[in-house]
Amino acid sequence: MSTHDDLGQASPELRDATDADAVDGVAPRWVAAPTSADEVAALLRACAEHDLAVVARGGGTKLTWGAPPARVDVVVDTGHLNRVVEHASGDLVVVAQAGVRLADLQKHLASARQRLALDETVPGSTVGGVIAASPSGPHRMATGTIRDLLIGVTMVRADGQVAKSGGKVVKNVAGYDLGKLLTGSFGTLGVITEAVFRLHPVPAAGRWVAATVNGDLGGLLGSVLTSKTVPAALEVDRPLDGPTTVAVLVEGVPAGVEQRADKVARLLGDAAEQSEDGPPWGSTYPWAAGGVALKLTCVLSAVPDVLAAARDAGVSVRGSAGTGVLYGTVAPDRAADAVRVLRAACVARGGSLVVLDAPADVKSGLDLWGEVGGLELMRRVKDQFDPDHRLAPGRFVGGI
Amino acid sequence: MTTARSTQPRGDVDAVLRRLRGTVPDTALITDPAELRTYECDGLAHYRVTPGLVVLAASPEHARATVAACAAEGIPFVARGSGTGLSGGALPRADGVLLVMSQLREVREVAPADQRAVVDPGVLNLQVTKAASPTGHYYAPDPSSQQICSIGGNVAENSGGAHCLKYGFTTNHVLSVDLVTPDGDTVQLGTRAPDAPGYDLLGVVVGSEGTLGVATSVTVRLVPLPEDVCTLLVGFPSVPDAAAATSAIIGGGIVPAAIEMMDALAIEAAEAAVHCQYPEGAGAVLVIELDGPAVEVEHELAAVEQACRDNAAFEIRIANEAEERALIWRGRKSAFAAVGRISPDYIVQDGVIPRTALPEVLRAIGDLSQASGVRVANVFHAGDGNLHPLVLFDEAQPGQGEKAEEVSGAILDLCIDYGGSITGEHGVGMDKAKHMPKMFTEADLDTMQLVRCAFDPDHIANPGKIFPTPRLCGERPGKHSGPHPAHELGVTEIF
Amino acid sequence: MTHVDLGLPAFDEHKPPSRELIDDCVHCGFCLTTCPTYTLWGEEMDSPRGRIYLMKQGVEGAPLSDSMVEHFDACLGCMACVPACPSGVRYDKLIEQTRAQVERRHRRSPAERLLRSTIFALFPHPDRLRLLRGPLRAMQKTGLERLLRRSGLLERIAPSLAAMQALAPELDSAERVPERTPAVGTRRAVVGMLTGCVQREFFPGANAATARVLAAEGCDVIAPRQQGCCGALSAHSGREPEAQRYARALVDTFENAGVDRIVVNAAGCGSVMKEYAELLSDDPAYAQRAAAFAEKVRDLSEILVELGPVAQRHPLDVTVAYHDACHLGHAQGVRSQPRKLLAGIPGLTVREIEDSAICCGSAGIYNILHPTAARDLGDRKAANVLATGAELLVTANPGCLMQIATSVRRADGTIALAHTAQVLDASIRGLSAADLTGRR
Repeated sequence: MSTHDDLGQASPELRDATDADAVDGVAPRWVAAPTSADEVAALLRACAEHDLAVVARGGGTKLTWGAPPARVDVVVDTGHLNRVVEHASGDLVVVAQAGVRLADLQKHLASARQRLALDETVPGSTVGGVIAASPSGPHRMATGTIRDLLIGVTMVRADGQVAKSGGKVVKNVAGYDLGKLLTGSFGTLGVITEAVFRLHPVPAAGRWVAATVNGDLGGLLGSVLTSKTVPAALEVDRPLDGPTTVAVLVEGVPAGVEQRADKVARLLGDAAEQSEDGPPWGSTYPWAAGGVALKLTCVLSAVPDVLAAARDAGVSVRGSAGTGVLYGTVAPDRAADAVRVLRAACVARGGSLVVLDAPADVKSGLDLWGEVGGLELMRRVKDQFDPDHRLAPGRFVGGI
Repeated sequence: MTTARSTQPRGDVDAVLRRLRGTVPDTALITDPAELRTYECDGLAHYRVTPGLVVLAASPEHARATVAACAAEGIPFVARGSGTGLSGGALPRADGVLLVMSQLREVREVAPADQRAVVDPGVLNLQVTKAASPTGHYYAPDPSSQQICSIGGNVAENSGGAHCLKYGFTTNHVLSVDLVTPDGDTVQLGTRAPDAPGYDLLGVVVGSEGTLGVATSVTVRLVPLPEDVCTLLVGFPSVPDAAAATSAIIGGGIVPAAIEMMDALAIEAAEAAVHCQYPEGAGAVLVIELDGPAVEVEHELAAVEQACRDNAAFEIRIANEAEERALIWRGRKSAFAAVGRISPDYIVQDGVIPRTALPEVLRAIGDLSQASGVRVANVFHAGDGNLHPLVLFDEAQPGQGEKAEEVSGAILDLCIDYGGSITGEHGVGMDKAKHMPKMFTEADLDTMQLVRCAFDPDHIANPGKIFPTPRLCGERPGKHSGPHPAHELGVTEIF
Repeated sequence: MTHVDLGLPAFDEHKPPSRELIDDCVHCGFCLTTCPTYTLWGEEMDSPRGRIYLMKQGVEGAPLSDSMVEHFDACLGCMACVPACPSGVRYDKLIEQTRAQVERRHRRSPAERLLRSTIFALFPHPDRLRLLRGPLRAMQKTGLERLLRRSGLLERIAPSLAAMQALAPELDSAERVPERTPAVGTRRAVVGMLTGCVQREFFPGANAATARVLAAEGCDVIAPRQQGCCGALSAHSGREPEAQRYARALVDTFENAGVDRIVVNAAGCGSVMKEYAELLSDDPAYAQRAAAFAEKVRDLSEILVELGPVAQRHPLDVTVAYHDACHLGHAQGVRSQPRKLLAGIPGLTVREIEDSAICCGSAGIYNILHPTAARDLGDRKAANVLATGAELLVTANPGCLMQIATSVRRADGTIALAHTAQVLDASIRGLSAADLTGRR
């Protein structure tokens, strides 16, 4: 039988790839859309048999993040794995297939006044994609990232074995936490088919307080952090050509939110404005489609330093000043210098700089991750999970 | 009762000893048989193995050198912190080295402006909070043994605690570790800032029970102290009432900092130990803690009180002062060991169920107890469904130990049947490796061990823990053949 | 070198550490942080849990090795682990049983034997201790001086003596407690008073204050002149027969004194006297009498709280740090009473000492036998005491006062020292804070 037939037998919904299926410029030969974990497993076994490279795709919204793959033969589209398998609202737990869109999931949960406490920073993202790329937004200050919400995961390995770790209970230390390993792994270790998340109740009220800042940003951020108002988010936005804005979100019961918002407003000064909707940028990233996308991290106290260094390097920045995780963008022609200078600034302050995305010609000239601690161990992990390097080869750190 | 004791010869441990002489001071190399025996168990005292050699590391270099010597000689090593673990995770190896980290106990740095602290692995959990509290911060994970358990042990076990309901577990509060890998290298995993690039190896290392290496430095997150803290002690006529109240509270959209439950037998023990003055005649008590901005706490307090009253609470005590709160918590946190006062022997079980299944599962545990005549005291983190049934017995009575083991095992089966877990915070260790196949398929366990193979292909880091059968490394998945080297090392035959 | 009887089991039949008590330990480790030696060294075998493990080996027939003895000896006997134990393990009983076995069955080196015998030839004897207070010349004709030098004891206690000379305010005043001090006003109780050995000779002011305070609170105070040592140092060092001799003598002394209570102002003494019933349980002639005696024993602070204050307290404008003597706080559970009494003095502020449950390193004769460990603990304690910023350190044990005085001095710090009784006495008599702190 031909390769195509083998694949088709494993996952009947199989078609030839088109230009639109390219993964960061690399064209696959087929696109398979399995309808169950078993089909994914069969498909990956077939791929193993034929030495085919595989990239998993959810909403396809972050396929250009990371490095382009060294090769792709099959795109595994999770579009049919779109079932919310179980919502145990009393236990604040949801089980969802990888292809469920985050927005759909939230809609489903909202009926029980619950949410997956994660911002949709890239519209159209799926559950699997969010795990694999681990984007983050304003709420990470209060509830962390997908890593902190993921309590169980099912994956299919490169050899087609189906494996799970974790479970359906929030508290669980039985065995290794493979969910953490898969988080942010860009599909290089396995294809995620199902995930279990812990949920949070939707707070009764929420309010943003925002103000532009002229003076001592560090002092202002520090005062919010120690104000005991427990912000759900502490955001900063510093465009190249405009003022720096700080925005604080408080969530809770209406009376409490009002008091806390007032307290924050006093800290932010006379110009502070309160609103239900928050700042105009919402939870979106500062880059335009196809632009240079940077992720900058540093210790909390160094956020003003990094912002200053960013402005000097021509990088506009926005992100969570409450956690030290910022996102930035820069004109493509200044990218190389900006990455070099700003990376040094971040690393010196306990963090890192990652180039998430950039126009192809720019990206190829950049060191996307910088020096990565534990890279040798990471290679060994990759070699164990995917000894033939067929899962999204080359997309991740150190050519993994 | 499983009482295991190994008196195997020391074998090539002497070769490790020779390598370490000169690097590690002689006083830190324990070979005296009587002294070695004091290290033969951790907090789970019915598993006992006298280690071949104990090394008391006083510096990261001592730890690294010890692991490197073990790697060179192919000798297994087991890292140990304060030795308070309840799953036999630090059970030594007769043919191996016990690497004791408890002398590495400096809080290296408290950086309140970064909400970080850098600590040695032997630093005690409570010591971190103590060091941070003058700056208005604390370390959130609070296992009941927090006054003595070490951060290194917490990292190994991904320790939880009462307040994890709201604040998460060790894994959510550790940013970075310096890890001595089983080949004797030191690698920094994670950074002081979140989201270090690359695989989240730290996320796997936390909770890996010492099977992936030994942490020699840990960077943790500090959390600002809440504006207000309020602890409620609520008496209920029965366990189902208390369970229903728990569901009502969380169903009402409130996530308290902690919801803990103790049943009558557990209350009796705690009362005997620390005179905590819990409500008289209670079939169950809930200890509920609310924290946060004062106005939020006030609102939540009203809602929680209502939920308790709606579910037959007959006494509600509210403690706002630190001292009153401490007394309430003392009863809860001493409960495990306090059971020693009402029973000569007991098993501390640790299982998890979906919280909504609490009433059913507790009823089933009651039935098990009744049918077998084995008393079971229940102390647990009700908010997240983490049960700690204490199965009481008297080893002096023939057959009682076995019966208790049976009941204890049946409780775990219940947890699995209800879609839960065999351990919420005590770890798998030696004790529960045999239960892992009930919760995970062979493929699941095999996949987890891929990580093990990447870190420790020779299986020298705490072998025999977590996984019932070691995976052969270096082979293609699913193609096992020949005897495993671990078998020859004696990894799997002690028990 | 010491001699080891290989093969001979560690313990004999006479009161070995009890298997039942050993089995009470569930190995939870809650004792570790309370243990001074574990705090210092972080070693399992120098923790209560580890020592119980060593005892268990002995009970199971292992020989009493040098290393086992070393770890038993290193225990300060502070008993901090006892109240900390959720399972209620009686480590206090276990270590006492073990120490008696060690004393009987382990042969120490000649130098160690000499040091120990010198200690016990000196401390339980107030008349000999008195000689230490003056110039050493006075001792020469007794032969004690030669013994002190030869045994090395003198150089080990010299720093304490010097520190006390410098810091203890009333060392020079040789106030004696009369045999009978009548109650002031209405008599509420007749109490016997232990005058002690070190307390009597080095802190006579504390004794005098104790008698005055008791009298002021309505007690007739009987302090029999011929009373001897209570046996605490001997009992805590495993010298059981010696301790029993002292105990019998003290029972005899107080038996016919017609007292309702026997008041002790030294923590170590009080704790052993409360345990006379067990110490003499095998002596048919004394068992019952010892039990009756023990029933009557009270720490000064206990009886004062029991009685309730009648004497007026005058203000003392002073900040004090209260130090829990281990044998008061841990062994007798007396923690709230002294604080309550101090807090009852207008103008006085009580500050708590960080890590207050950890022993100062004095521990009877521990600081003589284990000077290095004792010094390390003393240094930690001094730092914590000085960190309170208090002007006056108050405690209820002469050993602690000497140890902390030495340690504070080594840390180049200054703090005045007083017994709880002296503070109460000053308040009742209307003295000024400066009378206590020595600052004008």
